[in-house]
Amino acid sequence: MDLLANVALGFSVALTPANLMFCFLGSVVGTLVGVLPGLGPVGAVAFLLSLTFKMEPASAVIMLAGIYYGAMYGGSTTSILVNIPGETASVVTSLDGYRMARQGRAGAALGISAFGSFIAGTLGVIGLMCLAPLLGRAALSFGPPEYFALTVTGLTLVSYLSRGSMTKALIMTTLGLLAGTVGMDPISGEERFAYGILTLRDGLGLVPVAMGLFGIAEVLENLTTVGQHAIYETKIKGLLPNLKDWKNSLWPIARGSCLGFFLGILPGPGPVIASFVSYAVEKRVSRYPEKFGTGVIEGVAGPEAANNAATAGSFIPLLSLGIPTSAIMALFMGALMIHGIQPGPLFIVKYPELFWGFIASMYVGNAMLLVLNLPLIGIWVRLLKTPYIILFPLILLFCLIGVYSLNANVTEIIIMLIFGVLGFLFRQVGFEGAPFILAMVLGPIMETSLRQSLLISRGNFSIFFTRPICAVLMVLTAAFLVSPLVTAKRKR
Amino acid sequence: MRRSTIATGLVLAGLAGLIFFEASRLTFGSIRVPRTGFFPSILAILLLFFSIALLVQTRRQPDSESREEPIKSDAWIRISATLATMLGFALVLETLGFLLSTFIVMLLLLRAIEPQKWSRVIALALVIALVSYFLFAWLLNVPLPAGILEI
Repeated sequence: MDLLANVALGFSVALTPANLMFCFLGSVVGTLVGVLPGLGPVGAVAFLLSLTFKMEPASAVIMLAGIYYGAMYGGSTTSILVNIPGETASVVTSLDGYRMARQGRAGAALGISAFGSFIAGTLGVIGLMCLAPLLGRAALSFGPPEYFALTVTGLTLVSYLSRGSMTKALIMTTLGLLAGTVGMDPISGEERFAYGILTLRDGLGLVPVAMGLFGIAEVLENLTTVGQHAIYETKIKGLLPNLKDWKNSLWPIARGSCLGFFLGILPGPGPVIASFVSYAVEKRVSRYPEKFGTGVIEGVAGPEAANNAATAGSFIPLLSLGIPTSAIMALFMGALMIHGIQPGPLFIVKYPELFWGFIASMYVGNAMLLVLNLPLIGIWVRLLKTPYIILFPLILLFCLIGVYSLNANVTEIIIMLIFGVLGFLFRQVGFEGAPFILAMVLGPIMETSLRQSLLISRGNFSIFFTRPICAVLMVLTAAFLVSPLVTAKRKR
Repeated sequence: MRRSTIATGLVLAGLAGLIFFEASRLTFGSIRVPRTGFFPSILAILLLFFSIALLVQTRRQPDSESREEPIKSDAWIRISATLATMLGFALVLETLGFLLSTFIVMLLLLRAIEPQKWSRVIALALVIALVSYFLFAWLLNVPLPAGILEI
């Protein structure tokens, strides 16, 4: 009964006119971001973060979440129709989705991806609703050593799962942790690495750094290949998948939802990994694996369900442990902290209307996207033809205004530009920005818990190995660090 | 790719040394009572370790990775012009005010990214400046610098 009352409370928050509007706004902006290749969801959330300061906390979170799952929907639309994935989580969708579109079955592919996403998104939200409070209660017994171990394991896993070299990801993680130490010492309040610059005394701002690394750097990277995008047109007939399509897709959607949800909980770019794993699984269990890549509907339904379920799953560690597991979740944490709300084990108990309102808004948002996406596909495709010569300057201008509007501080614009250049250069040599931003947010948590643990144990490091949860996490960390070395040896 | 990775590794190793030096000027405390310099010092050592690991790995690997074509010089010009324009925006924003700076920055950005007719660029920049002013100052109530135009 408790659950029902909570869900009712949630809907009473999510269905207020203002919050409905923010949910709608978030979903639309998210779809837009997913459709347009110039800007990813991380950049968009970073940009809109600056506009959420004056909002109610619930509205802010609802809108930002809308962007996140909206981008998953939007990304699949362009993957299928024009073979340009708007964001990485829908790269897999283009394998079979675009083939289907070329065979004149774009409607079925779009339809199944929208319905699949809706079903998976809803299942994911239900999972989040059940699991987050449980985990939150368990986390109440966590002390500093557990938190330290969690951050270490999380960051190692993110590096382990990163697309390129693990060493490069570990370097980005360390640099991010160092960036997190700028400003005041979280325990003693002493100043570090500020060099007399007033803005740096409060630490490097999350928004300028994220917008530099993801917004500016992405546009700069696109500027190197200007004029090389070619777009093919596909005709869309009949958006509804037929009965056979449904029969083929039902199990992939179910499997994709479960896989996606649990992979989403793990640190790292959950939706991206979930979509790849789901594709691999579908191919393995299929009776005709050789047909994958030629336009099989299972190859669309599974990954699309998986990436949407993963978005729901990825909220769990943040909302119940207070530990973000990806760049986007780090930004969400920033959004909550700006309003003075500390996500963590007490979050659900202390702010029930915020938690349940947020959950309810995800149901509402998923339904909105279903309604929004199917009839409006034509408009999204037309938007894709917005000339980049207008699009890129606009994105840059919005970044400039967005950062300035935070604190009316010109220094933050300069910080954003510096990180834009750094992000661009790092991309050129194969370093990713995501581990950096995540580490920068986790840095203070990690440092505080490390120093407190050592105070408790009087300088004895065994405290991290004798407590059961810590020991398990540390063994996991060691395994992630060592396994690439082992596989490298075996190859030779 | 290989050469730039080695260069990056060397720069990072140097950076690690610099950070360690800077961190050593903060109070380290002890393992029992770690103070301000403790965590950054550990991180600097980690960074050095990972940079060396990167260098070793890159040296061992044969240079088989097919590098995509290097960035052309006109792309570098585009990128530098874009960055310079944005830096200029940061510097003049508070004296010229939002409307004028936005107009100028859009003018230059549109030209920097692709050379096109000035008449078109001026019209576009004007529309974008006015619309964004309306959007941010009126609808979203963001406080923006008025500058010399005093609006």
